[in-house]
Amino acid sequence: MHKKPLSKQIYDARWCYLFVLPCSILTGMFVIYPIGMSWYFSLLDWSGFTKEAKFIGLQNYYEAVNDEFFWDAFIRSFIFMFGTVPVKIVLGFIIAVFLNNQVLKLAPFFRTVIFMPVVTAIAIIGIVMTFVFSPFNGPANKFLMSTNLTSAPIDFLGNPDTVLPTVMGVYVWKWLGITMMYWLAALQTVPQDVYDAAKIDGAEGYRLWIHIILPIVLPFAIVIILVEAVGALNVFPLIETMTAGGPFFSSEVMEIYIFRTAFVTDSGTMPRLGYACAAGVFWGVAVLFITVLQGLWMRRTRRI
Amino acid sequence: MKKKKELKISRRTVMKGALAAGAMMSAGSIPSKIFAGEYNIPDPLKPLPTTGGNMRWIDSGDMKGVFWKKLFPEYAASRGITIEYDGLPWKEINKIVPIAIRNGTVHDVFQLPLGMDPGVAVAEGWVQPWDDYIENIDEWLAAFPSGVYLPGVNQFNGKTYGTCLTANKRTGTCLLYSEKYMSEAGYDPQAGRMTYSEIRDAAKKITKNGNGQYYGWIIGGNQVNRWEDVVHTFGQVGGAHSGRGGFTNRHINFQNGKFQIASDQYMEAVELLLQLKSDGSAFPGVMSMNAPQARALMPQGAAGMIFQGPWCIGVWGRDAPDWKYGIASEPVPDGKEAQPLYIAEGGSNTFWLSANSTMGPFAGDLIRFMGTEQGQIYWAQTVGAADPAVNPDAVAKAGLTGPSAQALAMFAENILVGPNPIVRNKDVGIVAAKSRVPDPSLALVIQGLYTGQLKGVEAQLKDCNQRYEDALDKAVEEARADGANVTRDDWVFPNWDVYSNYGAEKYQEL
Repeated sequence: MHKKPLSKQIYDARWCYLFVLPCSILTGMFVIYPIGMSWYFSLLDWSGFTKEAKFIGLQNYYEAVNDEFFWDAFIRSFIFMFGTVPVKIVLGFIIAVFLNNQVLKLAPFFRTVIFMPVVTAIAIIGIVMTFVFSPFNGPANKFLMSTNLTSAPIDFLGNPDTVLPTVMGVYVWKWLGITMMYWLAALQTVPQDVYDAAKIDGAEGYRLWIHIILPIVLPFAIVIILVEAVGALNVFPLIETMTAGGPFFSSEVMEIYIFRTAFVTDSGTMPRLGYACAAGVFWGVAVLFITVLQGLWMRRTRRI
Repeated sequence: MKKKKELKISRRTVMKGALAAGAMMSAGSIPSKIFAGEYNIPDPLKPLPTTGGNMRWIDSGDMKGVFWKKLFPEYAASRGITIEYDGLPWKEINKIVPIAIRNGTVHDVFQLPLGMDPGVAVAEGWVQPWDDYIENIDEWLAAFPSGVYLPGVNQFNGKTYGTCLTANKRTGTCLLYSEKYMSEAGYDPQAGRMTYSEIRDAAKKITKNGNGQYYGWIIGGNQVNRWEDVVHTFGQVGGAHSGRGGFTNRHINFQNGKFQIASDQYMEAVELLLQLKSDGSAFPGVMSMNAPQARALMPQGAAGMIFQGPWCIGVWGRDAPDWKYGIASEPVPDGKEAQPLYIAEGGSNTFWLSANSTMGPFAGDLIRFMGTEQGQIYWAQTVGAADPAVNPDAVAKAGLTGPSAQALAMFAENILVGPNPIVRNKDVGIVAAKSRVPDPSLALVIQGLYTGQLKGVEAQLKDCNQRYEDALDKAVEEARADGANVTRDDWVFPNWDVYSNYGAEKYQEL
């Protein structure tokens, strides 16, 4: 059969292309162009707002990979991810299992309560939490002291040993509702017949969940883990409002590091947008790499 | 009895009045007495545009904001414009202004981010000179004390790009204390400058008296610059003669041009902070609060002492008028005499006019008024010692009393004008533009030592000093590569007598 020329094919599908055009333009403007420019800027020695910008090749990348604070922040970001994602996944699943039970009359109420932090502005949460965890009259310390769990107030956000776990805890609390919703959506894809058949076969309790339900929702779990992992690597507003990366870098994750170098520092010297872009590009590639790995894992799991 | 004549205003009369007012507004020359407010704003020296408009103004707020919020509505009404004011902390200015410059939306009048070389702003074309907008500018400038307006600082190419209404003769680390707690501890800072040992002892006693309800000392520890400010100023008081200002001035001993971060005086100051912590005298949670939060806790009775600036006076006067507190000079190391503090020539709170601004005539008219003696008196009466008015006669006439007057007297006694490398060689500005504070900065090193994440004061300060030396060397090298005629010798002022002001004649001797 004679194949139509490309121009003819495009002309025939002109309406499809027309409908795709707005989205393509917006994607180009707000995704492709910024990514491309950040790659370009990363090759410059540039403060970001002077005319003077010198091309320096890969020097910014070289400097970044030789900066111990860069790697500290890099590793801290992954500590944050590995510390929060499993907790959210497991806790979200357990809550979803309970709230998926139609017999529980107050399920919608609890769903709403758990989901409420998700819709609250993150900057507000960050600021409020600095008061909640304040060692002077903060409710968290008041509770611990009144129940004799501690004899002296804990400086949750000012102590390098407690600051990151505290911020991680707030992050889990803030976004747990969305993980729960993902799981609820996944659980609701399990047909009622499966539950009935499992019961007839004598599978109940944890056996039902481990051997019947979990294998069915496993592909969803992969997607949820992927989304959660990427989300846990993007925590700038929460950390900036709660600790700004301190004390002494204890909670500085990659986004805070990039922000700090992209703008004028407290110490009052010129910002380094070129360097910040290099750190950002490096970080973006690392996140992309992890996403691809997870994608491959997901495909493999689906085949199994 | 004769009936009082009833005042009747017809609709036509109201219309006539409104039309007359409108005509006057559009004429652009409204007598200020119409707007009977707190301030007597004089008529402009020349007619202003009649198009009105909105003038946007951003600065670092605090007591400046308190004054502007009172003055701006009256000024705007008298000139038929509106004024949008944003008073923000420096941390926010440092972020917002560069972005606004980058995207062309910067305010009409703004302050440059901390540490940014004004020469860069002029060379990049972000700002325009005030000369066209301040009537009789030469006469106006002549009324300011010498050393406020200087080439390379706020004047470039023979024009005035930056205007200063305030002096920089102040420190940000005075001893501010609760009179009650300090008296109960058996100390009176008004009797004489306290020593480090006395500060420690007072803090211990206050903490003991507080029995968990209040503590000896507080600091906004997550605002890292506070650590550096305290150590820098205490180090100066202890005898480490160094400059103030941005990276290319701060911590440098101009006698030899070297950083003195690792000096004994700096180490003693850091040790004092660590001892306050190890004594248990520090307020719990200082690492998770910024300077304004720490300041706000003082009148609530949470702590006995804080090392902060005179801007607390206005804030406490407004928020806690009944609270009794005192202000005193920074403490001195045991067995030593307090040494002078130094400021660079030039004023403070420099205002820049955006190159894109169309509100120059109004901004110039307002700045001109604020530079007159009457404007300076108004400023001093509201802002007090927080940002002292630059005109000493106006300050004297403002009738300041209490802590404000005391603070100003203290600054006059303790602070001298030191050398400023940029006044000597304008190419130092290119070095400033190239310089980067190394990581971790002194501020962060002190914070790290305080939290225990870094060990060994001497070793850490020596490392930090070397980083600063290397960073300045690198910046000088880069500036020279770009054609700047500058060397590290520009930071050496062999004729600097640390006990006298460094004036124009000293620069000529070099």
